[in-house]
Amino acid sequence: VSDTPPAPAPRDVFDELLALLTPERLLRDPRATGEGVTVCVLDSGVERALLEEKYRRQGVALHSIEGAIFTDAPEPLPYAGRQSTPHGTTVADIILTLAPRVRLFSADVFGPRGSCEVEVVVRALRWAVDVWKCKVVNLSLGVPEQRLQQVQRRLALQRAVEDAYYKDVLVFAAAHNEHPLTRSYPAAFAPPLLSVDKHLFADPLQFAYRLRDQVEFQAHGRGYLGPFAQEPATSWAAPHLAGIAARILSLRPELKPFEMKTILYWMYREAVH
Amino acid sequence: MTPGSDPETVLVVDDEEPVRKTFREWLEGAGLGCRVVTAADAEAALVIANRQPIDLAILDWNLGAGSDGLQLLEDLTVFHPDVVAIMITGFADQATPLKAMRMGIRDYLDKNQDLDRTTFLHAVRRQLEKIRPARRERRLHRELLAFREAVEKVLPLVQAAAALSDPVPLPAAVRSLFRFVLRTTGARDGVLLARSYDAEREPAEVCRAWDTEGRRLDVALVPFARSVAGSVIGMQEPSTMEHLDRAAAAGAMDLQPFERGRRSLLAVPLSVAPGVQAVLEVFDKQGPGGEPGPFTEADRRLGAAAADIGTELLRHELAERQTQRVLFDAVGAALGASEAVAASIQPADSRPWVPANPEDPPPAAVMDRLRQGLAAADAATDAGESLRLAEAVRVLALRHGSRAVAHCTRLVEEVRRLLDDTAGTGEAPP
Repeated sequence: VSDTPPAPAPRDVFDELLALLTPERLLRDPRATGEGVTVCVLDSGVERALLEEKYRRQGVALHSIEGAIFTDAPEPLPYAGRQSTPHGTTVADIILTLAPRVRLFSADVFGPRGSCEVEVVVRALRWAVDVWKCKVVNLSLGVPEQRLQQVQRRLALQRAVEDAYYKDVLVFAAAHNEHPLTRSYPAAFAPPLLSVDKHLFADPLQFAYRLRDQVEFQAHGRGYLGPFAQEPATSWAAPHLAGIAARILSLRPELKPFEMKTILYWMYREAVH
Repeated sequence: MTPGSDPETVLVVDDEEPVRKTFREWLEGAGLGCRVVTAADAEAALVIANRQPIDLAILDWNLGAGSDGLQLLEDLTVFHPDVVAIMITGFADQATPLKAMRMGIRDYLDKNQDLDRTTFLHAVRRQLEKIRPARRERRLHRELLAFREAVEKVLPLVQAAAALSDPVPLPAAVRSLFRFVLRTTGARDGVLLARSYDAEREPAEVCRAWDTEGRRLDVALVPFARSVAGSVIGMQEPSTMEHLDRAAAAGAMDLQPFERGRRSLLAVPLSVAPGVQAVLEVFDKQGPGGEPGPFTEADRRLGAAAADIGTELLRHELAERQTQRVLFDAVGAALGASEAVAASIQPADSRPWVPANPEDPPPAAVMDRLRQGLAAADAATDAGESLRLAEAVRVLALRHGSRAVAHCTRLVEEVRRLLDDTAGTGEAPP
């Protein structure tokens, strides 16, 4: 028995190509700021003045945050720059922390009533894709399986996610916080979207590909602003991966969802190996 | 073993005494925190199972005298349906895996190949790790059932309370809920916040808070959109937070007066009804030794379970209130036949009139004025007026107690008699 380790297998052309996909090249490129990328935070509204002030103090000029409030009515209500609950502001802040130059839209699906139905989420998602032409949609809101038993409603949500996929829109959906004990929609519709579980990383730009019960990715699970931001949650993990994707998209805006998944996968693989 | 809980019981059944002794030594020496009982044969094992719960059974496939471990497991499940088993066998290839899995066998150890202290303890640990959460779930479920039974006993009493003389029956429900959550999580204090939103109402948003005794808190509440409660509704599941003041300083939210200075928080959203949100907040968890600490994942899950019951209680309460409102409306509509009645009851130069005896009929002058009013009044009173009058009845109940309310009820009965007489539908009153 020899003590000499076996010679490394010869690297093929894929190895050589994919070795170029490093976080340093893609995420830390000076141009990777989110510029040119339109992102929708489909959530509980965004407190615009608060974020503008925070980033102004950091010397970062944000694009003006726009949006709408979605209710049972067919047409959305105008967005007055306010949050319906702080959750959406925490999510938006995470995306802006990673990619401050994105153009952000707030789709407030909670509104003053403080609750939302799947139909409202579907309408807002379609609006973000078709009217605002968003390239990235972050869905940190999920519906646990037990609350979405009706097949028709589930299918309507799935169809909206698939329509976004066919329009090259990247949808990031948070897994349930008790994943995999509880499945959450739309994260469980994993193939056409990027499903995200939580994990604590030393660097918020770190992430992992760990397929586990339909959820593929893990990203940093802590936020920076607002109540519960410091508590690990999938709600904060999804916008971290969305922010990472926005950075990459500012280098190559036309990437398709499956291309983004592949790049993220290979980047993670290269980083690990 | 979870602190404060019963240890799991591991039953070892083997017909060879040295094997039983060895397994016992391995288990007790490994510090697994479980109770070990042994039996030499199926009969002794079943006697033990009849006396105490068994969580994990380590069974010899061949127990001698013609009996086997699989048959024994089948008998054990009669006593303890959730028991799982590790089978010790000398001939694993003869086992029937599918049947064995259905019976609760989760692992095999082959005496002839891989059975040593390490593999044995590894297999046991793996099963205990699966058993423990399931046991906790079952225990929690039992506690919830007990809690629900207790609540179900309370609810009829709440329902039976005279709605008008007890216009806020919320305390009993809130107290029950808080007792359960505070005791099981170790929280020191708590508040229930409820918010209703109706765009047609002024103000559209109404927020209320109750303490653990069900007393309404008379404090100025921050807007829901900037509150911790609002954020929990956004999270859609129980959430925990530490050092609330520090979190609030980062912006995006304001603390309620009763949240300031709190060290830890567990907030549980309750889905009550469209346009109505409620959040149960408990504060400042204490460990078994009284030491402060954060709420745990187990507390969060417990909060989720409590949310189901809390939601049910509040929905019930909401229905109660709607019933009361119908009652108020009925009284209001009847009294609304004449504004003059109120003036007759309360002459300008006297204190509010309350009958000495609730059984006394209303004064003749009042009834005369009422008859006049009825003749002139439009039978259909508008909802706003009804509500205003209903509120007057409620205030009457609060200020003057049940005797005044009893008289009010009697007045309504008189009105009904008058209406029946007038309309010619004179049905005998009950």
